[in-house]
Amino acid sequence: MTAIISIQNLNKVFRAKDGVSVHALENINLTIKQGEFVSLIGPSGCGKSTLLRIIADLIQPTNGTITVNGKTPSKARQDRDYGFVFQAPTLYEWRTVLKNVELPLEIMKFSKTEREARAREMLRLVELGDFAGKYPWQLSGGMQQRVSIARALAFQPGILLMDEPFGALDEMTRERMNNELLRIWTSLPEMTVIFVTHSISEAVYLSDRVVVMSPRPGRIAEIIDIDLPRPRGAQTRDLDDFFHLSSRLRHSLREGVGAND
Amino acid sequence: MTTIGQPLDRSAVPSTPPNFRWLRQIGGTLLLLAFLALLWEGAKAFARANNYALEIGGLTISLSNFNNEQLPHLGDIARAFAEPAGRGAPPLYQFLFSQAMFTLWEAVRGFAIGGVFGFALAVLFTYSGLMQRGCLPFVVASQTVPILAIAPMVVIWMSRAGARDWAVPMIAAYLTFFPVVIYTLRGLTSVPPTALELMQTYAANGRAILFKLRLPNALPQIFTALKLSATASVVGAIIGELPSGSQDGLGIAVLDFARYYNQSPPRLWATIATAGLLGIAFFGAVSIAERLIVRWRAEESD
Repeated sequence: MTAIISIQNLNKVFRAKDGVSVHALENINLTIKQGEFVSLIGPSGCGKSTLLRIIADLIQPTNGTITVNGKTPSKARQDRDYGFVFQAPTLYEWRTVLKNVELPLEIMKFSKTEREARAREMLRLVELGDFAGKYPWQLSGGMQQRVSIARALAFQPGILLMDEPFGALDEMTRERMNNELLRIWTSLPEMTVIFVTHSISEAVYLSDRVVVMSPRPGRIAEIIDIDLPRPRGAQTRDLDDFFHLSSRLRHSLREGVGAND
Repeated sequence: MTTIGQPLDRSAVPSTPPNFRWLRQIGGTLLLLAFLALLWEGAKAFARANNYALEIGGLTISLSNFNNEQLPHLGDIARAFAEPAGRGAPPLYQFLFSQAMFTLWEAVRGFAIGGVFGFALAVLFTYSGLMQRGCLPFVVASQTVPILAIAPMVVIWMSRAGARDWAVPMIAAYLTFFPVVIYTLRGLTSVPPTALELMQTYAANGRAILFKLRLPNALPQIFTALKLSATASVVGAIIGELPSGSQDGLGIAVLDFARYYNQSPPRLWATIATAGLLGIAFFGAVSIAERLIVRWRAEESD
């Protein structure tokens, strides 16, 4: 397996206007292989979203090296190597569901027929085929977020970056969305997912590996392998190993916070 | 209609129940008009019953403004529309209609010039903070100069330039570009940060960001500006006609009928009513365009 993301000695310092600087990320080292599902977890302020945004080239690191698909993040972004799912669905309200999914394809100059075919296929993948003609406000929050996942996958990027995508959903919807996401990820075997969350059960349920981060300064406290069998489903949550891994993750998070407070 | 045993076609089910909001709206407008008419005629009747003067504690308040010369009966104004506009002339409504069309054409040209110019400025200001900081104060200051003071100057300039027909549209444009600049600028720049970041993740170029994000995002605000501009352009055209030396237009009709007011007060009032209707009609046309173009809005939100 080849390394898709490779990060060495990466630091990010935010300098505020009043001269106070915040060490958001300190000495981050992380390698992610192709096809892996990796979660970043930690309390607020641990820099997990910052790290994801650096991978996406939405912000620049202060120093250190990072490669995405063997390129600089900037080059990877220009090459449209990743799809990004934000915490909020971020749909364009003036576009129908179908046209929202077509948006990246329009920008990437796909032909009209290809755009529509792909967008419809993606909407089927997230099981919203019947809602193509609706406007975003006519959909529930969970449905809107599924549209935004369809949109991120429409141009078949090899990497899916997700920034707390289900954080605003209720527990029931979230578990259903977790299953949807695993189903999609399984159907696209080459796809790498980097998933930011603050939910322990979500991280354990979804991931191959969980990167535990601690705040002030943002550091990687521990990387935990989740060797639960796949495919995962309702029965996974009842496994003894699921409980053990969850409680280990909880301890790791608590220590990470405790060490700095 | 769905029969038992057939699958329910989701797309055939209307997402919102039919409502009669527009009927209620028209009903409300009619009620308001009736109320205003009642107020108008009631004030006249009250003044007449008191012999056009009211004495309160030794003070005499003249009510002569409510007599038939100063404030004609609504019925007389309505009748004036049907009477000849002058000796041997066609009925007043025909005359006023053709004058209104003349003024409307000036207003529409002014609206178009002001709209395009205002929009271009807003786009320029969106992309150049320097231009915005440097020029926006002048845009605001331009509106503090009374249009009546500028109008004769514009007429002189445009006549010298050999484009006399465009003098009045230019004056109308002067009033209409301002709301377009302000509202469009706000619409273009009030884009949610994540909506913009989404475009960055697609490595979208500036053109795509303008046409696929900023512009559609600004459309509701642009239409708010255009509705303001529509009525302002009619006002601008009428005011612009006054010093223009034009032979036609509602502004000229207002001047003429004011000169002969003593002979027939209802004709001036009929002209004023026509000017009002013209503004409302233009506003209505822009509103219809808005409904056709800004279709994504939730029913509840407007």
